[in-house]
Amino acid sequence: MLKDARDYQILFLSLFLVLGIGTRDWTLHPEFILVAIATCCLTQWVAASLKYFIEVDNKDARDNGNTEGLIDTKNLADVFNFSLVKPAFRSAIITSLGLSLLLRVDHCSTMVLAGAIAISSKFIFKIKDKHFFNPANIGIIAVLVLTQDAWVSPGQWGEDWWYLLLFAGTGGLIVKKVGRWDTTAAFLGAYALLEAIRNFWLGWTWDVYWHRLMSGSLLLFALFMITDPRSIPNARISRYLWAISIALLTFILRNYFFIPTAVFWALFALAPLTIVFDSIWQAPRFSWQETSPSFTENLTLDLAIAPKSAPQMEREKSQVG
Amino acid sequence: MKPFRLLFSLILAAIIFVGFTPNAWGFCGFYVAKADAKLYNQASQVVLARDENRTILTMANDYQGDVKDFAIIVPVPVAIQKEQVRIGDAKVIERLDAFSAPRLVEYFDSDPCRRILYRSREGLSTDLPRPVAPSRRADANALGVTIESRFNVGEYEILVLSAKESNGLATWLKQNGYRIPRGADRLLQPYIRQQMKFFVAKVNLGEFNKSGYQNLRPLMIAYESRKFMLPIRLGTINSTNEQDLIVYVLSPKGQAEVTNYRTVKVPTGDRIPVFVKNEFSDFYKSMFQTSYTREGKNIAFLEYAWDMGSCDPCSAEPLTPEELKKAGVFWLKPDKGSNAFISRIHVRYTRNKFPEDLMFQETSNREQFQGRYVLQHPFKGEATCRAGQEYKRSLPRRFEQEARTLAQLTGWNIRDIRSKMNVVSSNYSPNPNPTPFWQDIWGE
Repeated sequence: MLKDARDYQILFLSLFLVLGIGTRDWTLHPEFILVAIATCCLTQWVAASLKYFIEVDNKDARDNGNTEGLIDTKNLADVFNFSLVKPAFRSAIITSLGLSLLLRVDHCSTMVLAGAIAISSKFIFKIKDKHFFNPANIGIIAVLVLTQDAWVSPGQWGEDWWYLLLFAGTGGLIVKKVGRWDTTAAFLGAYALLEAIRNFWLGWTWDVYWHRLMSGSLLLFALFMITDPRSIPNARISRYLWAISIALLTFILRNYFFIPTAVFWALFALAPLTIVFDSIWQAPRFSWQETSPSFTENLTLDLAIAPKSAPQMEREKSQVG
Repeated sequence: MKPFRLLFSLILAAIIFVGFTPNAWGFCGFYVAKADAKLYNQASQVVLARDENRTILTMANDYQGDVKDFAIIVPVPVAIQKEQVRIGDAKVIERLDAFSAPRLVEYFDSDPCRRILYRSREGLSTDLPRPVAPSRRADANALGVTIESRFNVGEYEILVLSAKESNGLATWLKQNGYRIPRGADRLLQPYIRQQMKFFVAKVNLGEFNKSGYQNLRPLMIAYESRKFMLPIRLGTINSTNEQDLIVYVLSPKGQAEVTNYRTVKVPTGDRIPVFVKNEFSDFYKSMFQTSYTREGKNIAFLEYAWDMGSCDPCSAEPLTPEELKKAGVFWLKPDKGSNAFISRIHVRYTRNKFPEDLMFQETSNREQFQGRYVLQHPFKGEATCRAGQEYKRSLPRRFEQEARTLAQLTGWNIRDIRSKMNVVSSNYSPNPNPTPFWQDIWGE
């Protein structure tokens, strides 16, 4: 079976795309999907290489005073070793599939912009080597704000139960694999509770409530977007708080500002909270790779106690995701 | 692991609950007939001209009953003053309908022995909507009802109400001679709590008689609100059947779509047997019903999406800037052409499949779409050349394909279709006994 949870994610997202195009009557152009994938992968590769060169340069500068020539040689070899960059393509593909599923555009150029911003954000908006915006999310928000021809169709999945089951099943598998079910549960639980209170207060019948919750888009968001283990808070308690805050903001934006794309704005606005929560509640950062126990321990220690001195290898890993 | 299982079973439980809860629901307002006249509103037409937060809503009125019984109650997002209400022009709605209606296109095969193409077009307008409801006058009182404004526009007497409690509002309406359907008071509450106002219109008989019009004219309301929605819930109280609502959304941006239900394009571009020309209305109705059922009955259909500056083929001439203004398009600037994009959204709703009011959004999607069905007339003349013979031999297969397409689209019985086709196409059915496949190489 597939080892990396991201492989499942790629598989499932591709499946949703195929299903969406085949059965959901989307105005989705296949060429835009290719453009999204190409842009994300290219941006990932360029940015990761750049980052690598810069880091090696810095290290060289630092090491010049040293007499340990061995390290220089190693880094020099690594510069040409693109396998260090390779693993991140999985994340880039996930981002591009996410964009293809959610974002609708009139022109290719807008998709290129979304993809480029999505991936670059991982390298630009980061603190202690951890990016805090969900790449696909920031890509969507950026083109919604910056261009005239982008939109999101919240109703595109409808509320067919078998889609919901499919999302719940596949999404559940992934969040279980990456151990982030807490985030999904906290988000859905808090949102459902808020909507229930509102529904009760307004006096709507309960089918209105279920109709609001049974939206395929909402479930997809809860299972596939806010569970990205690399950009969300590390500690469980902070994930609870973080997801509940997003649910609350979504609820407010949807019901009081009538924004159909409330979830994306809420996630975008609150993503930086990750940094705050991570500094309050420390926990090891998630890594996609399945590593040996001893290495994981080191990694944990480095990140939790002295993130700055984390080994070079870990820093390379953090490009992933 | 455990919480995950819990979550999963919660979701499952939710689905089961939704799936098996039977319920019943309608358009903007509900009829509040006087006496015991049972009125059903089966179809409505609404024009929504919208740019950012500004909206001009036009409600078509083809109310057929006695005008003295007519009254309508529509929840609106903000209080409305007299200047914000106008009488619309029913002809403009007819024009919008004709312009955006699903259409038949005819093509004629050329003489296969001489390749010259020509074609003719024809647009058919399907019949559509219906109107609104009634009211009576009253004074403000201690029921928590506030009369925000009261005025006359054309033949209508308008009241804009706000209320604190649904019971109070229901009582007030009853006391003032409005007959509201049973269960309406409970349904009024969510609107009251969302701080929405109630736009109540009834007919001033004196004015109506003076006006000399045979029918009630459309009402137009201009307001500014972030809420881009149509309240359909109230309308389901006094209609047990499926109701049709056709919404023409006019926007300077592009296509509109429903955000809380799926928006689906009607099947289009299919080649169907030529006899459908004489029964296009039946065809469209059956096809719509079939698609509606197939999609689960809880979707909105996009029937047309087009820049209003042009059409191809045209079922009616594009609206002039004057007509667009009459339809509520308020952003037109002289010399800038007609920057209006129309989306014709057809919703067939029932209480149990549409629990929530319709929420819309405009998108920048300027992709054009039309419900369009193709009739391809075969060449009727003599065609003796080799190409001609091949052409004639290809026809039965083509007819069969058209028959199957039609059966699939409409759910009609394929045998009936075939027999109808034979009647119509027997003239040019080239060869009742198909040529054996070996004849080409072996001869007779």
